[in-house]
Amino acid sequence: MREVAIIGAGMTKFGRSDLSLIEIMSEAAIRALEDAALGDQKVDSVYVANMGAARLNRQTAIASALVDQLNLFPAMAEAVENGPASGASAFKNGFQAIASGMADVVLVTGGERMREVNNLEATDFVASMSHPQAEYIYGVTLPALAGMFTRLYMDRYGVTAKHLALVAIKNHANALKNPYAHIHQAITIEGILTAPEAVVNNPYIADPLRLYDCCPVSDGAAALVLTTREIAEKLGKPIVKVGGIGQATDTHAVHERPDPTELTAVKIAAQKAFQMAGIGPQDIDVAELHDAFTILEIAESEEAGFFPKGEGHNALEQGVTSLGGKLPINPSGGLKAKGHPVGATGVAQLVELTWQLRGAAGDRQVEGAKNAFACNFGGFGNNVVTTVLMREE
Amino acid sequence: MEEKVYGVQCKTCGKETYPAHAVCPNCGGHDFEPLEITGEGKVLTYTDVYALPLDYALRYLRLAIVELDSGLRATGQLVDDDPKIGKRVRTTVGVVRETGGRKIYGLQFVPV
Amino acid sequence: MSNVDELEALLRPPAMEMPPYPPKVITLASGEQMVVRQIDRDEVPTLLKAIAPLIWVERDFYDVVAARLFGELLAYKRYRVRDEYCLVGLIDGVLAGIVNGRAVNGDVGMSYHTITIRRGLRVGSHMFAAKMEYHMEYLNQKEVLIVAESPIGFRRWMIEYPLQKKYEVQHELGGVPSWTLTRDTYFKAKPRLVSGRRPVPPELLERAKTITLPGEETVKAQVLGEKGEGA
Repeated sequence: MREVAIIGAGMTKFGRSDLSLIEIMSEAAIRALEDAALGDQKVDSVYVANMGAARLNRQTAIASALVDQLNLFPAMAEAVENGPASGASAFKNGFQAIASGMADVVLVTGGERMREVNNLEATDFVASMSHPQAEYIYGVTLPALAGMFTRLYMDRYGVTAKHLALVAIKNHANALKNPYAHIHQAITIEGILTAPEAVVNNPYIADPLRLYDCCPVSDGAAALVLTTREIAEKLGKPIVKVGGIGQATDTHAVHERPDPTELTAVKIAAQKAFQMAGIGPQDIDVAELHDAFTILEIAESEEAGFFPKGEGHNALEQGVTSLGGKLPINPSGGLKAKGHPVGATGVAQLVELTWQLRGAAGDRQVEGAKNAFACNFGGFGNNVVTTVLMREE
Repeated sequence: MEEKVYGVQCKTCGKETYPAHAVCPNCGGHDFEPLEITGEGKVLTYTDVYALPLDYALRYLRLAIVELDSGLRATGQLVDDDPKIGKRVRTTVGVVRETGGRKIYGLQFVPV
Repeated sequence: MSNVDELEALLRPPAMEMPPYPPKVITLASGEQMVVRQIDRDEVPTLLKAIAPLIWVERDFYDVVAARLFGELLAYKRYRVRDEYCLVGLIDGVLAGIVNGRAVNGDVGMSYHTITIRRGLRVGSHMFAAKMEYHMEYLNQKEVLIVAESPIGFRRWMIEYPLQKKYEVQHELGGVPSWTLTRDTYFKAKPRLVSGRRPVPPELLERAKTITLPGEETVKAQVLGEKGEGA
């Protein structure tokens, strides 16, 4: 298997966009390609991550459309749909193409334009990931599954509303340092939890989860350029190596899991990625976890092996996961505050980590970051892709 | 009311599953008999959902995962003004959604 | 008719005695303190300056709401609408939101508009709640007639309170179907949706005395959702 390196990274500002899906994906792709500065080297293959173009934007075959916009003919191209884990899945496909020798240079672009439809429609679109007969018909949404998961987690592990609020406050603070983030708004424990007004400021979405426990609905795109280690060295790029990728699936209906507080697919995917990279969770300097809901940052930090089960919230409270802590989690602001254009998210996590490993993350830089970990979480944990990136001197 | 909710029981090994799968998660068999999802159990977890999808003009909807005494679990609507983890409930079947004028029947749990 | 004052007296609607809305202060999610207070007619021109640029913002129906609000407030200042009032939300004196409405009679209130200048902190929700509080707790009315002209408004008022349909009654804003907030619904929703403390500490009230407008660019960036909102 050939070694694979990231040589270009770019993204759009997440938020609300008036541009079309293909336009925002083009913007991110052009930034990544400019960053890669390929010279005579051509893009051989394009992987596009997206979940909802057919339903939200009434467009299909978007990989061909992107190639056309970018004039990358006759590159191979396809779209990858794997729910909210589409981004890391597309990245995995790009990795495989290079590792196998099928392609030398790959462009991975993830994008979503969710705000083309109203919030009811967007909620329903995301809810359509749930089991059609055993969940969806009851009005189950992703926040509903997360709410039921949170109640059980609180009951069992002593996680409180305060811990959830601390995740949100931390990630909103990090996002203030990220010009690409959707939400640039500091929040306080008083304003979202302890003041009498907090019940109005921070209403329940799916109790015990409140408004500020949930990610926003965002438009945005992110892109990466991958190549072989040899070509990366020839181009004189700082080497951000793809150390390992892991992926695992779990039951469609959440209630069928033997223990519904366990995110088994996160655990297995993380173990696989670490095994492939030849390092362990203790070697990670910075992580981007899929905090579509605040509870998920805590739960994933445990399943990935950073903290023992049931202790993630203590590490959070002690500041371990804050910028400046031992293991900063979601320096970008996470899905919570950077935003969550579903197809873009997995790619955007790796864009952030590439910048972190290059020492180019500005005010949110994790000093001396060498090894990085990302968790991209599809469905309610029924398809998870994790990635380990490593900086080489 | 004739409406019922079904899972399956594997003809080969007897394993009960809800919802149905094409392949038995226990023995790999493909032959099943319908299994009515009914009975008593306890609330494993629940939530009140305020951000509802299309088809619901309600302020919120109360949903739960219930573990039946048979060991099977099911997700459904919880019709209980005082929900608690561990509370005893039983299954009923009612209209859980109306989409395009069509009534969809499903599980509604009520306190025992 | 030669006497202008006499003519003006004919044009000007009679006025009902309306108790003032006592100011309150709300802690927002950001920890910032928003003072909600009633304005008088002299302050209308300042508000019009903030509203005018939004008349051309199509997103989320800001154009419709801004244009109508502009007209309503101007008419209020020049005595062309009967028993109108306007409340503003101010963070450190800077305008964050505006609501207005009027009393139809002692029993019925007519809600007009809610416009949010500072988005992403539920300012609109707080301001609408303050307006309902005024009708129910200070004007002691039996009901308030309400319409939504945007999907955001519909979710905030019709679903969240929730309001009841009253389509048989024509709302003053035109053809949009009318809904009603009754005292019963209001007091049930109050613990979830109405907040704030009184009296406002004097130093906060002092800072809220003069309305400062955010720059036009800031306003546009805020209303175009650059700041965004959770969920």
